[in-house]
Amino acid sequence: MTELDPDKAQAAIEHCYEQGWSDGLPLIPATDPLVDKFLAAAGRSPDEVIGRLPQLDRVVTVRLAAINAAMAGCLPEYFPVVLAAWEALMRERVTGGGGWQSTSGPAPLIIVNGPVRAELGFNTAGGVFGPGFRPNATVPRAIGLIVRNVYGIHPHELEQATQGLPGRWSICVAENEEESPWPSLASEAGLPDGVSAVSATLLRTCEFVDNRHTASAEQLLADFADSIGRSGPWIFQHAAAGVVFCPEHAQMLAAAGLGRAEVRGWLVEHSGRTTADLARVGKDRVEGRLRLPGDGEPAAEFQRMLASEDRTNLLIAVAGARNAGISMIVRLFADWSGAAVPVIRP
Amino acid sequence: MPNAILDPTGRAQARPPAAGLQLAPRRQDPSGLRVGLLNNTKHNAALLLAEIGKLLAADHSMSVALAETKPNFAAPAPAELVDRFREQCDVVVTGVGDCGSCSASAVADGIVFEQAGLPSAVICSDAFTVTASAMADLRGAPGYHFIVTEHPVAVLDEEQVRQRAKRLAPEVVALVTAKAGR
Repeated sequence: MTELDPDKAQAAIEHCYEQGWSDGLPLIPATDPLVDKFLAAAGRSPDEVIGRLPQLDRVVTVRLAAINAAMAGCLPEYFPVVLAAWEALMRERVTGGGGWQSTSGPAPLIIVNGPVRAELGFNTAGGVFGPGFRPNATVPRAIGLIVRNVYGIHPHELEQATQGLPGRWSICVAENEEESPWPSLASEAGLPDGVSAVSATLLRTCEFVDNRHTASAEQLLADFADSIGRSGPWIFQHAAAGVVFCPEHAQMLAAAGLGRAEVRGWLVEHSGRTTADLARVGKDRVEGRLRLPGDGEPAAEFQRMLASEDRTNLLIAVAGARNAGISMIVRLFADWSGAAVPVIRP
Repeated sequence: MPNAILDPTGRAQARPPAAGLQLAPRRQDPSGLRVGLLNNTKHNAALLLAEIGKLLAADHSMSVALAETKPNFAAPAPAELVDRFREQCDVVVTGVGDCGSCSASAVADGIVFEQAGLPSAVICSDAFTVTASAMADLRGAPGYHFIVTEHPVAVLDEEQVRQRAKRLAPEVVALVTAKAGR
């Protein structure tokens, strides 16, 4: 390895910092030969427009996405996954509006299905929310760099996150289809088996449900419903959520005869708070879109957090290790498109 | 010769926006000016604008000719909406810039109204002046003057909104007439 020149590499990395291109971590300096490999892996026209923000008058092309994916540390063969993740995000209502600039500082959640998981080495199992796996780490980072560099949405300037959230550009899980009792998320979205695909939405946060000792599916679901329905994340009439179930929880629910739709139906019915509970936190009255302080009546009325049993209000996926009953509730920034976007390779 | 490091922004060769917004012409005398109010849907924005409208009418002989609500607080005001204001109003008051995207968007709207010949007063919370100014720079209007009010606006009760409107109304008049001294 005598021909490697770390001093030159360091200088090139510092150059990228000096240009303001970095999210804070070192970038891979992108060059034409490297980016050409990305473009070849995707087989798309470099000039194809894949995103636009009218308020900023900026557009994302395949070529600009490739440069940012290379800088994020992706391998060229990840690029079709980056493009599918980007398109899945573009199908979210809020990403064409003010989502990236929001005080909420939302994070993309990217979920990968299909053969591409094993082919590219995506983690589906232990520690699936990271870190440690190059595709899981670099695909979402590429999205963050596109937003930063192509849209020009920088923190403290056009990006106004009050606090943001941990791991904002690093949440990419591959579904553990092998240990899931249910059809994959991509199948649920209507894609044929064997098609690699990406689903994505924007999150406000993730929070765990640790329940290892009940044998009752109803008690387990009640634990999820209680956490989903708490008041803090509830700012509009309804709020959307998701659950990334660990295999153990998913298998227990499936053994009780519950599919995704039944789980969703149960959680929609039971996730929420009474008007009295909501009055205590000044969120019992709905005016326009917002929750505001009201008079607390009728006190015993149960208000549901999730708008309906439509899957766009409650994303359900399965990932992680089959070693404990620990699952993750995810808090959606808005509603979810419900789409799974196929990974296209030439 | 090493390969060049590629620019990930796509803007290295971009033409910078033509600097220097030409503000719409201002009249010295506010009396008789028809005011348009554009509510961006942020909480308390409608009430604040309505109260300012009442004060402009009562104290400055102006009249509220149009009050509309923006369809999407984060997006630029649609051309048809701008046309309606141009047809029915002489000046525009818009806001409240009170979030990440709507503050920048309100400034972008103000600039569009100026270009359409309508003197405009954009009201923005003081927590979002940086992003509002960044949008002005982006639109080729560095230094674009907007009205800054204390954050937060959304938690004010009705009486507090009225008090806020009283403080802001003279600033609005100054900004949409030639008294601003710009």
